[in-house]
Amino acid sequence: MTDMSIAWSEDYACGLNPGARGLAGLLGPAKAVQITSEPAWGSSGDNPLIELRNVSKSFGPVVALDSLEATIHPGELVTVVGPSGCGKSTLFNILAGLEEPDPGNILRFRGKSSAASELLGQVSFMPQRDLLLPWRNVIDNAILALEIEGMPRTQARAEALKMLPEFGLAGFENQYPNQLSGGMRQRVALMRTFLFRRDLMLLDEPFGALDALTRTMMQRWLLDVWQKHRRTVLFITHDVDEAIFLGDRVLVMTARPGKVKLEQKIDLPRPRKADIVTSPEFITLKKTLLDAIEEESMKSFMTSGH
Amino acid sequence: MSVSGPSGAIVASPSLSAAKAGRFVSLLKSLIWIAAFLAVVELLVLVLGIRPYYLPRPSAIAAAFWATPQAYLLSMWRTLLETVIGFVAGSLFGVATGVLFHRWTMLRELFFPLFVVSQTIPVIAFGAVVVLWFGNTLLAKAVISFYISFLPVTVNALLGFAAVDPRQVALMRSFGAKEGQILRRLYLPAALPQIFVALKLASSLSLIGAIVGEWFGDTTGLGVLLLQAMYNENVVGIWVTIVASACLGIGLYAVVSEAERRIVFWGAEQ
Repeated sequence: MTDMSIAWSEDYACGLNPGARGLAGLLGPAKAVQITSEPAWGSSGDNPLIELRNVSKSFGPVVALDSLEATIHPGELVTVVGPSGCGKSTLFNILAGLEEPDPGNILRFRGKSSAASELLGQVSFMPQRDLLLPWRNVIDNAILALEIEGMPRTQARAEALKMLPEFGLAGFENQYPNQLSGGMRQRVALMRTFLFRRDLMLLDEPFGALDALTRTMMQRWLLDVWQKHRRTVLFITHDVDEAIFLGDRVLVMTARPGKVKLEQKIDLPRPRKADIVTSPEFITLKKTLLDAIEEESMKSFMTSGH
Repeated sequence: MSVSGPSGAIVASPSLSAAKAGRFVSLLKSLIWIAAFLAVVELLVLVLGIRPYYLPRPSAIAAAFWATPQAYLLSMWRTLLETVIGFVAGSLFGVATGVLFHRWTMLRELFFPLFVVSQTIPVIAFGAVVVLWFGNTLLAKAVISFYISFLPVTVNALLGFAAVDPRQVALMRSFGAKEGQILRRLYLPAALPQIFVALKLASSLSLIGAIVGEWFGDTTGLGVLLLQAMYNENVVGIWVTIVASACLGIGLYAVVSEAERRIVFWGAEQ
């Protein structure tokens, strides 16, 4: 993972859309933003989709995760931020079923205790890089997961074709990855993730490699798509603005060994417009989160001895 | 190829036909070069008075071919058959052992050194045994051709598999893919650029194997013609056979290259 610990605040100030600033519809009867440091859910009636209790993972002497606790409810968009090397990706690999946590953990998926490996094929996972196959065109890259599930190619292609316009890829179905821009490649990867219909979607810094302007576009677009499809999403980012803008809840992770330091509910109204990042509520939330992250970044900065 | 809009597919087509025209021009160019080269050789032989024993005139070589085209064409056909059988078998075996060695490291540790040792035995030494085993048949030559051509394919397939991005494998596994699906959809296509490098090498090697195999006894084939011409000090005959072998070799290489261009259209991009 690259070291991004200094880039928290000025990450994409230039990414704001100046034209959208006048449309301050959301500044009307401002809904009081409720800031809770204590998780107020869990006691509520609906069952969590996934529940992690006391999840640890060490690689030899390195403890990546230490008794991490987290709960994700169906339909939520939860974002995870934290200093680099805090074990975010390890958490994702566990949730994707690619790595087994250390013994003694509790991992409940739909209320059922499971081993991580049982989650293989249960979670749609999108890693940091698009990882498109260069010998497959847009449509065939998008249907990769469906094909693996055993859906006939023609049926999978038909399904993907219907989705192309929504992902801004209409007319590009026969293009190959090396003919696409970074943002388009990322959308193909997202489409592949969306087509693999699973209750939980894991997005690992999907927009991390994009330029600031493309990134804000992609964030708004992701919100649109998410609101339409209502999947449960866990979204890793190193960008606080992105975490607040997208999330129902933000989990701030501690420096290694990683655990959840702060769980912040984001009560900003949806649909969220681009200019919401300048609203006082947003700024207040951002300040709370930045304070928490800064503390951890300093810690990881000191211990890693950069 | 650049893409400027949603009509990218249409933009791409004229450049495709342009590429076709480019290939035709380059083919024409190389033909002109060959003709020019032959003319120069012809002239040099005449002007410098080189005796045919050392280097016959290209026109004399062509005339010798036209005198008995049947014999040469039949020999070329026979050698081509041996070569192609050996090459195809060697390529398939090479890829298959690559897969096995990649999948089971134990097998690689056990057998890979053996493979390498097998290649240190000169084909000449091995050829006699093969002919004893398989008789004086087409199959015997194909076996020698196979023997000499499979190892580069094994080695390059292994290299190609090892270069596959582990994150790509993890992604496939997260989709619930089984080993066979990952092999077919990821490892094999990803290793194709590497495998084709080896196939081009193997195409030349398998021709050598077939010609050398024929030296152990046969009645038709380029290797036989070569030996006969040598024993009869028929220098022109030797040269005709050399040119015929060259044509076979170039032809095979061209076929493999063309297949590579069509199949591995994405290049080695990762």
